[in-house]
Amino acid sequence: MTTRRIEVNAVSGPLPQTEAEPVQALKGIGVSGGVAIGQAVVIERLTLEMYPQRIIAPDEIPSEIARFESAVHEAAKQLAQVKKLIHAGHPLEEHAYILDTHMLLLEDKMFFNGTKSAIASERQNAEWALSEIIGRITSAFDTIEDEYLRERARDIRFVGERVLGILMGRSETGKIHQLPPNSVIVSHDLSPADTAQIQWGNVLAFAIDMGGQTSHTAIMARSLKVAAVTGLENISSKVQTGDTIIVDGSTGVVVINPDPDTIFRFRQRQEVYRNYHQSLMAFGQLPAVTIDGACSVSILANVELMDEIEIARQHGAEGIGLFRTEYLYLGRRELPSEEEQFESYRRALEANAPNPVTIRTLDVGADKMLTNLSIGHQTNPAMGLRAIRLCLEQRDIFKTQLRAILRASVYGRCLLLIPMISSLTELQATREILAEVKDDLTRSGIEFDPKMPLGILVEVPSAVAIADLLAREADFFSIGTNDLIQYSLAIDRVNEHVNYLYDTLHPALLRLIHQVVEVGTAAGIRVSMCGEMAGDPVNIPILLGLGLTELSMNALSIPMVKKLIRSMSMEECRELTARAFDMTAAHEIRGMLEDWLRDRFPQDYFVPQS
Amino acid sequence: MTNVVEFQEKTLTIPDGLGLHARVATMMVRAMANYMCNVTLIKDDVEVNARSVLGLLLLAAVPGSRIVVRAEGPDSVEAVETITRIIEHDDNTQN
Repeated sequence: MTTRRIEVNAVSGPLPQTEAEPVQALKGIGVSGGVAIGQAVVIERLTLEMYPQRIIAPDEIPSEIARFESAVHEAAKQLAQVKKLIHAGHPLEEHAYILDTHMLLLEDKMFFNGTKSAIASERQNAEWALSEIIGRITSAFDTIEDEYLRERARDIRFVGERVLGILMGRSETGKIHQLPPNSVIVSHDLSPADTAQIQWGNVLAFAIDMGGQTSHTAIMARSLKVAAVTGLENISSKVQTGDTIIVDGSTGVVVINPDPDTIFRFRQRQEVYRNYHQSLMAFGQLPAVTIDGACSVSILANVELMDEIEIARQHGAEGIGLFRTEYLYLGRRELPSEEEQFESYRRALEANAPNPVTIRTLDVGADKMLTNLSIGHQTNPAMGLRAIRLCLEQRDIFKTQLRAILRASVYGRCLLLIPMISSLTELQATREILAEVKDDLTRSGIEFDPKMPLGILVEVPSAVAIADLLAREADFFSIGTNDLIQYSLAIDRVNEHVNYLYDTLHPALLRLIHQVVEVGTAAGIRVSMCGEMAGDPVNIPILLGLGLTELSMNALSIPMVKKLIRSMSMEECRELTARAFDMTAAHEIRGMLEDWLRDRFPQDYFVPQS
Repeated sequence: MTNVVEFQEKTLTIPDGLGLHARVATMMVRAMANYMCNVTLIKDDVEVNARSVLGLLLLAAVPGSRIVVRAEGPDSVEAVETITRIIEHDDNTQN
């Protein structure tokens, strides 16, 4: 690709009638849409071309090899640290695997042994040997015709640069940790480890020298919905931190230090994008009723942090269907006090009143180990002492939380949700403890909502099997699909050898959901769904067809899901559901639903446009 | 148990999508940690070790490529099965 120097007025908008100097503009590849106008922050990377060269003495060979080995070791440690930043629910969660790829590249014989033997046989210092080896490996990639695979040469360069930086005593790209608001990141290239450390809230756009559609920066920018242009070749040397810069991610145009006219024109373009986004946002504020009026669905948000409550409201959530409480407990030494918890729950309830807030009691164990609770090593934590099991064993912790929730319950519409119920005994034990806490409060003259509904998360297959029994004691069911898939299909989501089997449209899962809805309806209790499944448009016709009328999801999905529900009829949903139940494999069902969405709504983006 | 060294060979076609890309290569190298046998992937006249991410990427196996998987060792049957599964079930979305 070539970078062309062009005049902005050739690109967009009406021709300005001015004699001013043409503004400097560059054309790259627009890889993630939207127009951003902000301040450049240039991130300089150490490149493989800058290293000291020295012929070492024969007796230096062992120590030079040891220096290389320890730098590789340190690089692996750094990558593991970065990977830890990408926790569950992080916007880059899906892309975390690339850090695994980089860790494997560090160990790869071609790189690791290759460098060591270059040190020994060529008597090159470690930096030199490493750069030579990386150069040889990347030139082998140059001959690959396929663009995506050829681009992977960059992954080995990133790895090499990291080790080189350590050998040369350079620190990591520090600026990334402290970006001012409205930053446009300008860089020769960004490694996945760099992007993982970026403060996303302050980033408006990316303008990058290297790469194309398939670079990781491009993929990440798209999933984070920020504008990005790559393949700009030399923008990182033309721009200085603090320069005003325009990035148009759909046309690939980047303008450096634009004049006021240019800024004005790009502001207009920006409007066009915002309007599309806003037209979708407008659906958030409308009720989710099918086009034939046959079905009205309550759409709520899953919330993890207090900050998300406002985002949920803006996106049209009609309450919080899943308020996770783990954040109160995680990353600290002492347990949160009743008072601290009460304040959080009260604020969540007040912010949503009169809409409901469903508070899920502590759900730790498996993947989010508490630092302040020593429950010993568990070889299979997903099936170990977690969630309600842990709460029933550590009753003091549970009672403190229940007290805080009950006290807060008078500040709005509060529902209590118990995770991981697998037997009626657990639910009965929970009811008893709840009754004890209520008695305590009554004796102390403290107010609470005596009718606060008590529901269970249906996420263990045994709970589906005994749903009729559980319905006697539960006031509502909430289907937690993430765990239900994991347990019913026997798939550890975080195990990369089997996660390809994970599919929300598995015929088994659809049948389990069907069963829960049937039993709940027969028993006259409300059934809702709060897993990731509920926020993916592809699943929506089936969920409605199965009779669900309450869905709780990631707030950002709400406008799109509402728009979809408002555009389809229950008849269509029932028909698609019937067809899905005749199919035998998840991919078949998924294919049918994706085709239907594309045919029915060609103007919308309900399914990935491949 | 017999001491006969087992030998397995199978030809696979890379499905539509991005080819034998970084995610698949990473999964494959990780999966190979569970096996003792030697596994090589062969495309045209290039032969690479299934335990090397770089090797797998350099194989440049684009969709439609025919790959020979060759395994030698006591658990070669299972290893070839695993590789087949990883290649054939790749969801081919991003990356």
